[in-house]
Amino acid sequence: MPDEKREEALRKELDQVLAAGDTEKGTQIARQALESGLTPTEFFVGIIQPLLYDVGKRFERLEIFLPDLMKAAKVIQTMQREVLEPAILAESGEGSELGTVVIGTCQGDIHDIGKNMVALMLQVNGFRVIDLGTDVSPQNFIDAARKEEADIIGMSSLLTPSMPYMGDLIKRLEGLGLREQYKVIVGGAPVTEAYAERIGADAYGADAVHAVQMCRQLIGLEG
Amino acid sequence: MRNAVRLVDVLDRMEAGPIIEEEDFDMRLVPETMAELQAKYDISIPPDAPFVPDDDALADRLFEAGLEMAEAIGVLCTDTGRRMLWTRSEILDAIGIAPDHLTVGAFPDAHTEYKRLPEDTRRITIKGGPVGTPSPEHLYVAIQQSYAQEPLVDLMIDGSLETVYGREGRSHSPWEVLLSWHEMEMVLTAVQRAGRPGLGIGCTENSVSEIGELTVTAADRLGPHHWHHVAMISEFKTNYALMTKVAHIHKTGSILHSFYNTIYGGTAGGREGMAIAIVGGCILMQMAYMTTTHSVSPTHPFYGNTTSPDILRAIAPAQQALSRNTHLLNDVVITPVGGPGTKTLLYEVAAQSLLAVSSGAAALIGPRSAAGTEPGHVSGLEARFMAEVAHAAAGMSRAEANRLVAEMVARYKADLDQRPVGKRFDEVYDVVRVQPTEEWLGIYEEVKSELRELGLNLDSAAAHDCVGRSTTV
Ligand code: B12
Repeated sequence: MPDEKREEALRKELDQVLAAGDTEKGTQIARQALESGLTPTEFFVGIIQPLLYDVGKRFERLEIFLPDLMKAAKVIQTMQREVLEPAILAESGEGSELGTVVIGTCQGDIHDIGKNMVALMLQVNGFRVIDLGTDVSPQNFIDAARKEEADIIGMSSLLTPSMPYMGDLIKRLEGLGLREQYKVIVGGAPVTEAYAERIGADAYGADAVHAVQMCRQLIGLEG
Repeated sequence: MRNAVRLVDVLDRMEAGPIIEEEDFDMRLVPETMAELQAKYDISIPPDAPFVPDDDALADRLFEAGLEMAEAIGVLCTDTGRRMLWTRSEILDAIGIAPDHLTVGAFPDAHTEYKRLPEDTRRITIKGGPVGTPSPEHLYVAIQQSYAQEPLVDLMIDGSLETVYGREGRSHSPWEVLLSWHEMEMVLTAVQRAGRPGLGIGCTENSVSEIGELTVTAADRLGPHHWHHVAMISEFKTNYALMTKVAHIHKTGSILHSFYNTIYGGTAGGREGMAIAIVGGCILMQMAYMTTTHSVSPTHPFYGNTTSPDILRAIAPAQQALSRNTHLLNDVVITPVGGPGTKTLLYEVAAQSLLAVSSGAAALIGPRSAAGTEPGHVSGLEARFMAEVAHAAAGMSRAEANRLVAEMVARYKADLDQRPVGKRFDEVYDVVRVQPTEEWLGIYEEVKSELRELGLNLDSAAAHDCVGRSTTV
């Protein structure tokens, strides 16, 4: 079918654009695709998501590296911001972002490689992500979540002595009467599902792909 | 070599160097420089390259690439947002006057670590311990003693604590003071119990921020003759907290050991990028921290280990580069996926020991069993094994080491994504007598037999304690 062929050619071209990190070309292609009749959702679900999945798999096999992932992410983000988001807004009057996640590494902890991967994957999958960086105190998480009107607070910990701050944050939310306003997801090498449950978190993510699934579930979408 | 003038000079650069956005540093400067230098110096490590190459020209090109990398990138201080930079001649001057040997610990247990060359017959220094792996409080003394009492362990390195007085500790809080004091109280007990009161201790593992280090050294709890740790943030970054440790350690005249963990597939890249990052990273730790010993622990992003084939292929040429071209004291950390009670752990440790010894590393650190993340999954027996294999490899040719490493890798490769974390300390040791169980000893003996069959002479004089050990140059 000509449509399928066209989509296949589009995917091929975009694959190269993602690898090169060419944001200009990316937005140009997205514009053309919409002009040629694809809806923003068709374009994202039919073209971008399979590519994204592929890029993620290649990283898992370490055929490509973090900077390549970042390049691809930049192109997709720019497309979303400049082409898809305005088109959706014009069509339905509503934004397309799934929700806002405030993410960071817990107090005293400067490990950020895993957290950065999670933030990146959430972003390219349509979440608005506010990355607070490392060494973030429970209060700073809460302040940022309020300011950004976040849906989800994501905490990363790689150190046994920075893990308790996760539970502290949840208790503080309860104490402030804010627990119902935010979903809380936790992760990091020493954190387990059982630990997440014990401290009353809403979800645990074992890796970046799992983190995206769980965040989608937290806002009521399918994983 | 450190002195007050140099310390102030480093701090000046931290406040006055060129300003850069962290994202630009991470995502543009580092990867672009790596790619450029890889091409410029023709650094190629194919996926089927030998584990232990015998290629001096490659090692020397890698050194040049690492040197240029250090000059081009420098170290970013994330608190000041500035890059500390040094010229090539400043770097060469500084690494030229760095010490080529270092005595750690106190009478009667002091030990001297020496610079080694590839294929050197000199015994490598063994720094045994769990390297930051958390342990339950009630097992902590016995665990540290299990390393301290091993005669082949020249220096010890601490694990961290899961709790303090049964409470959850908290980093960068008063709890960190208690955690760090608790670590010192318990490791000093462990070395005393092992009958080696002067054993040099690698610390302070519970000093996640600067607080722990400041409190234990300020109170004289932990003397200057121990080896005090400061991390460099991957890749090539530091901050005020870490520089506070540096300033403090220098002002107290203590030994400074720095480390950094480049991430495979991270901003430095793949095998070639990691190899350049190891060389450049050691040079930069020398420049920014004025360290006396340093280690790099290139880490797999999904398994958390250092023993994956691609990582081994980066470590060996990088060690050779440093050891052929400088007299810096470079240590290698062994982080296997396997834990106590598994053959996997022993195969991994054997492979990386053989590789490091024949490539000219000055010391081996670890093993950081079960990727360092499984509470209490560590034991002294694996440090004994690491030392025995390492000493049997003294003077071994790189070609012979490569043959044995390949044999070992073939035996553990399939386990790397299986998390074979093995058993906790109290399941592989009698915790009162502090001796390995028959079962764990049996597995250890089995793997030693396999190594003997492969031709490793584990029974030579050099493999035994004290014989052939030299403490003078
Ligand atoms: C790299 C590293 C460092 C680097 C960090 C550089 C950086 N920019 O992050 C440096 C050298 C600075 C460092 C320093 C220290 N480290 Co360190 N480090 C590591 C190491 C080797 C790898 C961590 C890593 O990056 N893995 C790769 C990433 C991709 O994996 P990840 O972080 O697990 O993330 C994945 C998942 O967990 C998940 N995830 C992560 N975050 C989140 C968040 C959410 C919301 C979700 C859903 C999911 C999720 O998704 C990620 C992607 O798949 C680990 C050991 C190990 N094997 O894990 C030790 C380790 C974490 N470090 C340790 C220690 C002790 C330290 C120090 C205290 C040592 C010292 N005494 O100075 C300092 C602490 C500094 C500080 N204040 O934080 C210990 C911690 C022990 C413990 N349980 O307390 C470990 C386990 C090693 C050990 N045994 O010593 N370290």
